[in-house]
Amino acid sequence: MFFLHDETTGRLIKGLDAAALRQQVTAHNLANLNTPNFNRSDVSFEDELMRARQQADTPLARTHEKHFPITPGPEINPTIKTDTTTTRRIDGNNVDIEREMLNLVSNQLRYNTYVQRLNGRFDNWRYVINEGRR
Amino acid sequence: MSFFPEFRISGSALTAEKTRLDVIAGNLANMNTTRTPEGGPYKRRTVVFSEDLAASRSRRAIVTPFVPSSATGGAYRGQGVRVDQILADHRDPMMVYDPEHPDAGEDGYVLYPNVELAKEMTDMITAQRSYEANVTAVQTAKSIYTKALEIGR
Repeated sequence: MFFLHDETTGRLIKGLDAAALRQQVTAHNLANLNTPNFNRSDVSFEDELMRARQQADTPLARTHEKHFPITPGPEINPTIKTDTTTTRRIDGNNVDIEREMLNLVSNQLRYNTYVQRLNGRFDNWRYVINEGRR
Repeated sequence: MSFFPEFRISGSALTAEKTRLDVIAGNLANMNTTRTPEGGPYKRRTVVFSEDLAASRSRRAIVTPFVPSSATGGAYRGQGVRVDQILADHRDPMMVYDPEHPDAGEDGYVLYPNVELAKEMTDMITAQRSYEANVTAVQTAKSIYTKALEIGR
């Protein structure tokens, strides 16, 4: 496994994708705050990933008991889900402004977290590379 | 230009809500207008919004380096909102008894526009709040993009 393509980095990048997409979807929901019969959408990624992580408990076979146990990570992609089951207003629009604003805030924090952790990964590698040179 | 789709999505909403405010302002300004080019009192106007979706597989579908379409099984089609129609409200005009008025009918009643002040004011607040919500979305998108520049720094 090439060091830039390890599981953690891949997940973080997917998390960034999901957050960027969620920003877009939330902006679209907010833009259609006053559109009759509009149904809000949501991006699900983190919850799916968590669920998949809990289910994936079959580790790879090891040839030595001191090898690290590796559980193959599930391939989870961000998906857009449209909420058609709720109706909040008389015009058939189900956008809840409070919910969307909270989504904006939490999504921004999430994005910042992923960027920070990704930079943390890069710092680790930089450290390894620089120390190896000494 | 769809490099920063969030800005265009929220921008479309800012335009739409601004249009709504313009129409409300027009209604309020013409609350007491009894003469119009088409004859009769002014008729209240309403704005109808519709969701702006890119046709699937069209070139208008959002292409962005930030969300590869492979991640979602196709580009996201939501492109914000657009003003679909500006409709006249054809409900009956208000009748006010005022025989002195030059536009009074033979029975002494004047037909005034069907604009309700309270409704226009509440619509105005809704439009203003929606506008603010979308401005916040623009700011969030901006700070996300700024943060993205810090990757690998």
